[in-house]
Amino acid sequence: MKPIHWIFVFIALLIGIGAGLAYGWVIDPVDFFDLTPDTLRAEYKADYVLMTAEAYRLEQDPGLAARRLAIFGAHSPSSIAADGLAYARSNGFADSDIALIQELVTALQAWSGLP
Amino acid sequence: MRRFPWWIPVTLLALLTGLGLGLVYSWVISPARATDTEPAILRADFKEQYRSAIAAAYAATGNLPRAQARLAYLGDVDPVPALNAQAQRMLASGESFQQAEQVAGLALALSNNGTPIPTETAAIGPVTEIASNETTTPTSTLPPPPPDVPIVLTGTAETVEPEPTQAVVIQVTPRPTRTPVPAFGAPFKSTGQDTVCDPNLPDGLLQIIVYNSRRKQMAGIEIVVTWDGGGERFFTGFKPEISDGYADFIMTPNIAYSVQLARGSDIVSGLTAPACQASNGESYFGGIKLTFQQP
Repeated sequence: MKPIHWIFVFIALLIGIGAGLAYGWVIDPVDFFDLTPDTLRAEYKADYVLMTAEAYRLEQDPGLAARRLAIFGAHSPSSIAADGLAYARSNGFADSDIALIQELVTALQAWSGLP
Repeated sequence: MRRFPWWIPVTLLALLTGLGLGLVYSWVISPARATDTEPAILRADFKEQYRSAIAAAYAATGNLPRAQARLAYLGDVDPVPALNAQAQRMLASGESFQQAEQVAGLALALSNNGTPIPTETAAIGPVTEIASNETTTPTSTLPPPPPDVPIVLTGTAETVEPEPTQAVVIQVTPRPTRTPVPAFGAPFKSTGQDTVCDPNLPDGLLQIIVYNSRRKQMAGIEIVVTWDGGGERFFTGFKPEISDGYADFIMTPNIAYSVQLARGSDIVSGLTAPACQASNGESYFGGIKLTFQQP
């Protein structure tokens, strides 16, 4: 084969790799299951924070609220709640819902974590 | 004679090889990281936490449509059995009784034809306290109405006493009237107590079936069984293969039991495993079948 042909072979290899990556990452990625909550879409996370805030309004137990929010992993409960509050404010949540989340954020910021 | 252009099949082979390498890398070595996912594909234990949070929010707000919408995220074919089973697991694993009750309460509300029945979130005390609590109106113990429960705007024109010469009608700003949170309903009545002598059933089997006022079986109803020196709580609906409103309990022979529903019911007391006789003359302990119904 001539040198130019080796260049064709190399280019074909690169095209194949690119096509394989595009297919495997974009067109038909692996099916996900058994995921952790930190992978949830932001709207679901914000709704979970709202659920926690709704329950907190009744229970008035920041420790329990913090444990509920702990499913999102590494971040602190107050920052998770604050993220939910930011999402709620920028995505048209009802004022009453925003107020609930705000109340939760305030409580968690003041909460020391000590019993 | 012209030479075969080997570079063409070699190029195609390189293309296929590259494609294979790309797929192996993207599917096996470094698959795309999951982001922006939905609750339906969460791991089972996280789904349970999600359900618990939904139930806790429902217990606080009484907003059943919102709870139903949230449960739909989880992709359960029927959320009622999933909630009931989770409540049972929570009790078995020693988790907070209050949280298990919230989960069971949501299941009950869903199975009660969409009629929201808020979970009582007050601490559960001894059985005698439960009975007395259930007879009170729930207004003092139930959570405040949800902020986003559908509200009915009743813009009633307020008529002011007319002055001597002119009638004045003031249009006031309509005030939202919150939809009242339904009460628990009337206490359940004990409607049946039958001795069951069936050697195929476990000895001392106490079967309990709970119906609503429309004679539909109710899942998620908490049952309290007490005896001298002990007590146990469990829920209907955990054996859907038998029926939705069914629950059972094994009685120890020669011990008297009392049964009531935690939401308020007649107390059936003095229940003991009856002595039965099989066709071959052998004696064994039979069971009792109790039914409760909401009037």
